[in-house]
Amino acid sequence: MTFAQYVRKNKLRVRWQPWGDVLKLALTVVFCVWFFARGAGELDYNWQWRRVPRYLFSYENGQFTPGPLLLGVLVTLKASALSLVLAFAFGLSAALFRMSRSFAAGLTAKVYVEAIRNTPLLIQIFFTYFVLGPVLGIGRFTSAVLALSLFEGAYASEIIRAGIASIPAGQWEAAHSLGLSSFHTYTRVILPQAMQRVLPPLTSQGVSLIKDSSLISTIAIYDLTMQGQVIVADTFLTFEIWFTVAGVYLMMTGSLSLLAKFLDNRLKGGNAAC
Amino acid sequence: MRRGRGVKITALDAFILLALLGFGVFLAYRVEVGVSYHWRWEAIPKYLIRCDPSSGRWRPNLLLNGLFTTIRLSIWAALPALCIGTAAGLWRTSRSFPMRMLGGAYVELIRNIPPLVLVFIFYFFLSDQIMAALDLEERIRSSSAGTKEAFALLMAPPERLSGFISGVLTLGLYEGAYIAEIVRAGIRSVDKGQWEASQALGFSRRGQLQHVILPQAFSNILPPLAGQFISIIKDSAIVSVVSIPELTFQGMELMASTYLTFEIWITITVMYFLLGFACSLAVKRLESRMRKD
Repeated sequence: MTFAQYVRKNKLRVRWQPWGDVLKLALTVVFCVWFFARGAGELDYNWQWRRVPRYLFSYENGQFTPGPLLLGVLVTLKASALSLVLAFAFGLSAALFRMSRSFAAGLTAKVYVEAIRNTPLLIQIFFTYFVLGPVLGIGRFTSAVLALSLFEGAYASEIIRAGIASIPAGQWEAAHSLGLSSFHTYTRVILPQAMQRVLPPLTSQGVSLIKDSSLISTIAIYDLTMQGQVIVADTFLTFEIWFTVAGVYLMMTGSLSLLAKFLDNRLKGGNAAC
Repeated sequence: MRRGRGVKITALDAFILLALLGFGVFLAYRVEVGVSYHWRWEAIPKYLIRCDPSSGRWRPNLLLNGLFTTIRLSIWAALPALCIGTAAGLWRTSRSFPMRMLGGAYVELIRNIPPLVLVFIFYFFLSDQIMAALDLEERIRSSSAGTKEAFALLMAPPERLSGFISGVLTLGLYEGAYIAEIVRAGIRSVDKGQWEASQALGFSRRGQLQHVILPQAFSNILPPLAGQFISIIKDSAIVSVVSIPELTFQGMELMASTYLTFEIWITITVMYFLLGFACSLAVKRLESRMRKD
């Protein structure tokens, strides 16, 4: 049982207070910065925040040049977006396989989900890059996207499966009595309704995807984390760079989290049947 | 939707089986012809277990030692994670706004930053700050041989101890955020009437939690908490980036020195899978037992 299902089963409502959440976040950021600054002060850490902006971007003579961190953000977003689309495809097929009457399909989906859920993502990335990569003849970036999407797909499949299972039996029966084939039952009746319910948890899965994509830096893909590592190794601006990187990730995941909450509220409030 | 008795092989089954078989054959063909990989599986067992020449006894070698370090790391990390998680979970359900804010901020912050970045930040900070403050390494070094051995058995040998403890704390801080959510959900899952009834009986807030709410929440919390432990095992792979010699790190090292790329990563994946799968079977049993009660 995932946490989301657990929450839903126990009818827990998460109340969303926009200003409260923003304030919470801001205050803790201040607290953490203070805490780290104090600790770093004892380390005689030499803060050089003014050296950071040029790694984000530079603006000279009306010419905008993205710095390495911003280029890293683009790679992160690209990998995440590609993986999201693929993960959805993997997740949807695994969910349909799992729910089908076919014995081989059910078993395949089950083995896939169990294998992914019981091994660390880092190992899957290494496995894909070091073993599957040369065997299938795919490159670094493709391996990373494949590993990420296989990983998130397994979790997405559980979400989609729960969404399909939540459609009342009456919908199936009504579709059957209208004479729809099982293909049309899915595409016209079940999936459109299920997708609506599945969208908010899938968006949260997207947040995880952005977070997890930082692990592809371990196979030397120059995403945000890798760029951070390179800059830290060059300049020893350890804390400045890592705080900046964390802040940029926070902005990406935070905005997606807000979207997920908005969708959730919208669907809950807007459609009583859901 | 349930299958009837007996397995019926349909056209779809045949198609899927054929496709899988075809993919398997393609992979095997690529390994043999495309990559012309030279398998040397016979080299792997000696990295799992070795015979100590001086005593003639069998000792775990790199890979098994890595697995043990992974297990040790996960168990130790579960302790700070539980403490922090319970505290933050209680804060999140507290009546005071600043407490709720603190708990909420911790959870949101941790859950929205990639674990890898957190590891880099925490590790640099913790290993520099806390280790220096505790002066742990010096104390262990000057302690008796028995203490040293106990530490080596339960945690890590003295020269690796500071890295190990930083890794444990980092992992604990990260997983604490997830445990906080589990604790919060568990407390919220207790019926409102229980709060009201215990209040009517004159319990203080603390007494309410201690004698009425938490004992009931516990049975709801336990299964997801056990599930979170599996996540700790999986996430412990991430601390390999700061050179803690757990299974993933050993795999990287071994790959660099032996070039047995395929064998090593297949072995390690299988080892993680067996560990994770055994744990998730145990969690499933726990869940069904809790449901029965």
